[in-house]
Amino acid sequence: MATPALEPDVKPAKTKAAGRQALHYRFILATYRIFAIAALYAVLIGVIAYAFVMGFYAVNASWAAPVILTATDEKSLDFREKLITSQQSIEDLKVDAAKMDSGLKEMRSHRDSLLALEPEIASAITSERAHDRIDAPALSALDRQKLADDAQTKQVLAQLDAMQSDIQKDLASGLITRADAASQMAAINQTATSYTDSRIAEVLLTDTVLDKTTIGATTLEALERQAELRAEAAQLDVAIQVAEKELTEDNRQIARLHDAIVTARQSPYYLSATGQNLLNYAFVPYDNQASAATGSPIYDCYLNMILCRKVGVVVARFPGEEQILHPIFKTQIRGFLIQMDLQHEESAKSKTVFLGAKPLLF
Amino acid sequence: MAPLLMWLIMVLCLVISLGKYLFGLILQLAHPSTKIRKDYTYEPTVSVLMPCYNEGKTVYETIESISKSNYPNGKFEIIAQDDCSADDSYQWMLKAQRDFANISIRVGRNEANCGKARTVCNALQHSNAEIIISIDSDCIFHPNAIRELTASFSEPRVGSVGGRVGVRNPNQSIITAIQTIVYYAAFELYKIPENWTRSVCCISGCLFAIRRELLLAIEPAIRARHWFGVPVNQGEDRFLTHQTLLHGYGTYINNDALCWTTVPTTLSVLFKQQLRWRRSIVRDFFFTLRSLPVHVFRLHPNTVLTLVLIPLGAIVALLVIVNSLVSDPLAWAGPMPLVTALAIAAVLSWWIKKHSVHETIAHPLAFGAYIAWAIASSLFLTPLALCTMDSADWGTRAKPLEEVPVGNSRA
Repeated sequence: MATPALEPDVKPAKTKAAGRQALHYRFILATYRIFAIAALYAVLIGVIAYAFVMGFYAVNASWAAPVILTATDEKSLDFREKLITSQQSIEDLKVDAAKMDSGLKEMRSHRDSLLALEPEIASAITSERAHDRIDAPALSALDRQKLADDAQTKQVLAQLDAMQSDIQKDLASGLITRADAASQMAAINQTATSYTDSRIAEVLLTDTVLDKTTIGATTLEALERQAELRAEAAQLDVAIQVAEKELTEDNRQIARLHDAIVTARQSPYYLSATGQNLLNYAFVPYDNQASAATGSPIYDCYLNMILCRKVGVVVARFPGEEQILHPIFKTQIRGFLIQMDLQHEESAKSKTVFLGAKPLLF
Repeated sequence: MAPLLMWLIMVLCLVISLGKYLFGLILQLAHPSTKIRKDYTYEPTVSVLMPCYNEGKTVYETIESISKSNYPNGKFEIIAQDDCSADDSYQWMLKAQRDFANISIRVGRNEANCGKARTVCNALQHSNAEIIISIDSDCIFHPNAIRELTASFSEPRVGSVGGRVGVRNPNQSIITAIQTIVYYAAFELYKIPENWTRSVCCISGCLFAIRRELLLAIEPAIRARHWFGVPVNQGEDRFLTHQTLLHGYGTYINNDALCWTTVPTTLSVLFKQQLRWRRSIVRDFFFTLRSLPVHVFRLHPNTVLTLVLIPLGAIVALLVIVNSLVSDPLAWAGPMPLVTALAIAAVLSWWIKKHSVHETIAHPLAFGAYIAWAIASSLFLTPLALCTMDSADWGTRAKPLEEVPVGNSRA
């Protein structure tokens, strides 16, 4: 009796449960389908957007990638170190150049003083030679006269030897006193001495005549001094030329280093390493350099390309080459840095900015 | 932390995948236990179930190839079940029934289109055989195929056995050449470690043999499959294999049981086929996760790893590729992926030419295009599969197939 009574209760309960489950499934399915459609559209939009971004950056020629440089960047530190080394080199070169310049002046002065002596020596030699030409004949005649006089004196001395014997004999025979004899002997010796002096004078005279008639030791000595002076002057000329070249080279090196430092001081790395204010830079690939003229407006965009606004202008273009990874394609690209004057500092953190105009006209 | 975890999973999946190929090669060459003990004297009764939908004349060729089987005629029958084809498939089935009178052929038709899985179940109603072989109606079978499959059931623990699926049209296009290499590597290398432990996770529905009592036990589950009330008609082969394992039986692929299928020739058809397969993988993954403790305690660790990590790898691969495309969009264009793909193609195409001359690839370099396909499929298949789990669309049977001869005979 109980079984038939149960049937009407169980069947509606099962139907009810099945109905609830079906409703439950329908709700889950509806939710799932909404989610699935949204997800698929999101995937579709993502794929189209990705393809568009890739295509856009493949053809766009106005993008630049902001770069934030700080004093502690490895490149800035390295740059600064090299700059200091260059400055030190300049200082060393300047000291060397100053020393060299001073030495050069000394050498030039010495050379000038040497060269100033030469005319005096030449004049002295000429003067002496002229004097000799005048004195030599007279001295020569006197020398001959002297020789003749000495010959006569010699003959007289020969006679005096005989007189000396006669005096000895007269003394021995007592014809004359011893005092007379001494007096006569002294006179004879006096004569002999005079003769000897005369001979000496004659030899000296002969010597003087020889000096006057030929190139003498004095003249030779003067000529030697003249030659030494010229050699020393020539050596100084060579030394001065070498020193001048070195000095010129040093000055050129200083100029080059100076130019390099002047250029380096305009580098973004120097400016970032030494500047007090934070400066904004951006990398511009060579393909986009036409857009990077000084004064060009800079635009920052949402999603890297749309809804752009002007955020600043290009202040300067730096000459050095830079290499970075392409912000989208991640390949190595070459270009240069520009300095930006940004009114909106947060744009320095954007992945890319655009130069010249808005990339998509809005 | 999250990226690290993602990379760890990716590396694990890669190591397992690549490790499986390498391990498969070692087992294939050096380990006898990888091959099942076959008993050719075991000749059970066999029903070949052939569900069919919009196959046209191909279904006639399929039946013809089975009729040439060297299995005793009295011990096997063909049960061809049409799923309300829009073309003349049913007429071709009836013609085959008339023309191949040497074997028993039953032809039936569903009252309404209900998908492959239910069509198999409907065909099963007409069968009393001990072994049920489910086949695809667009395949050509080797005369030894049935004998090879039944001989593999001599191991009582084995519940399902599959055959190796070759490609009928390897040189029809670059796409078919790529698929030929992928199919060959999958059957001859990737599945071998699973064969070793008798725990193949997916036996192809092209040639699928199962014990009758096991299929009967699973049939209610096949009919009841649904996605929140939407009937599921796809991936019955993966489901059957998975259920075989959960019922405590082993699964095996006998690479000597051969059949050839016509693989998609265009990207769109290939994409739809792969999307259908990906849905099956995702569905199977969810099912595995839902009953993970049962899997862990009941199945071989090799099986659990395959069931969990491979689908997980697909999801992680998607994330890795998205990440790569954003962080380094041109990385895939470097020489390394191309060189790797070409090296694989060179080795495998040489191996295929040596061991499966029907599938010789005329232009192995075409495999270079696999890189583009791998990226596109990794990117889109998983999200699309996840978002279309309620789809019952088969995708590749919208119109009758063109006729394609076996292997390279067309050339």
